[in-house]
Amino acid sequence: MNHLSMEQLLQLHGTATDVGSADARLHLNTCEACQRELDKLHQRVARLKALPTVHPPRDMWQMVERRVRSERQSRRNKWMGLAGLAIAATVTLAVVITEVSNPSELSASTAAIDTAKARSRELENVLSQYDPESRVIDGRTAKIAGDLEDRIADLDRQLQMTQMEKNVIQEEKVLRMWRERVGLLDALVDVHVTRASNVGL
Amino acid sequence: MADLLLVANSEAILARARTGDAHALEQLYRAYESQVYNLARRICRTAEDAEDVLQETFFELCRSIGQYRGEGSLWGWIRTVASSKALMRLRRNKYRDTDELEDEVSPTRREDTLLRMDLEAALERLPEVSRAVVWLHDVEGYTHEEIAEMMGKTVSFSKSQLARAHVRLRRWLGEEAVL
Repeated sequence: MNHLSMEQLLQLHGTATDVGSADARLHLNTCEACQRELDKLHQRVARLKALPTVHPPRDMWQMVERRVRSERQSRRNKWMGLAGLAIAATVTLAVVITEVSNPSELSASTAAIDTAKARSRELENVLSQYDPESRVIDGRTAKIAGDLEDRIADLDRQLQMTQMEKNVIQEEKVLRMWRERVGLLDALVDVHVTRASNVGL
Repeated sequence: MADLLLVANSEAILARARTGDAHALEQLYRAYESQVYNLARRICRTAEDAEDVLQETFFELCRSIGQYRGEGSLWGWIRTVASSKALMRLRRNKYRDTDELEDEVSPTRREDTLLRMDLEAALERLPEVSRAVVWLHDVEGYTHEEIAEMMGKTVSFSKSQLARAHVRLRRWLGEEAVL
């Protein structure tokens, strides 16, 4: 058998799961030159591991922190955009509802919508005070929160659309959407705030 | 350093870091900055690239520390992020393959190779991919399967890069086989 190749030597140098072929081991047992080569390989790897640690030439933490802050700010801006859209939808609905022809028939539902809107505002205030965008959350929670935010944004778009169809507006539909919005916001508060309470913040 | 690592691995620090506490995140940075930079500097071509990898690794850590569930060591998790970032940087810089480098060695440098180099210089002289494979396999302890996955290459690619690199290191270090 010829002397061992570097690949074979590396296999013999390897871990228990990759210890080279039986032929290579047999050759190694009888070949002093290959034993020396393997020994040099062991030493080379040991010297690689012993190379001194290279330290960073300057402190990079400030840059990392600035970048994290900047990303949080842009996420916060996105959230504020969503909230702005929700407020716009609220105003639009108020206008639409007052334009409906027979206010007396709608008073009960209007009151229910007003209640839902008030609750919606309360929950937004809770979220705003908690400031979830300034906090780091785990991936699973972020996904749940992101899904809820998307659904709220979708509802807000639908509420805005109702302005277009004000002649055929159906109060029940609006009420249902507002109640769904409250439910989603409630869940979002739960995801952010309750989770935080659980870890003792 | 050992103290920093102990502090950084404490449950209290990790719990605070997961909530985005800046002070806790900075403690993690202080504990691991040298290890991350060292790994990046050994793989990347320039100190600037290694600094970028350091920054990107900890930026990623600040964003994703919540995903670390305590399974395996924290350093193992950070190291995988750092290795991926370093290899990504190599790909972005369109690293040269081993054989291309061989053709590019100037006559002067060919003469240099007759002289013994120290290990540091020899490692530095390896092509980026080979150097990355040597460092990840021999020093960091990754398997060829793991390296292949991180590089988006085959296991045999990783094995052959390591073998070629060791042949070169052996020659440059004056350990040429007398077989």
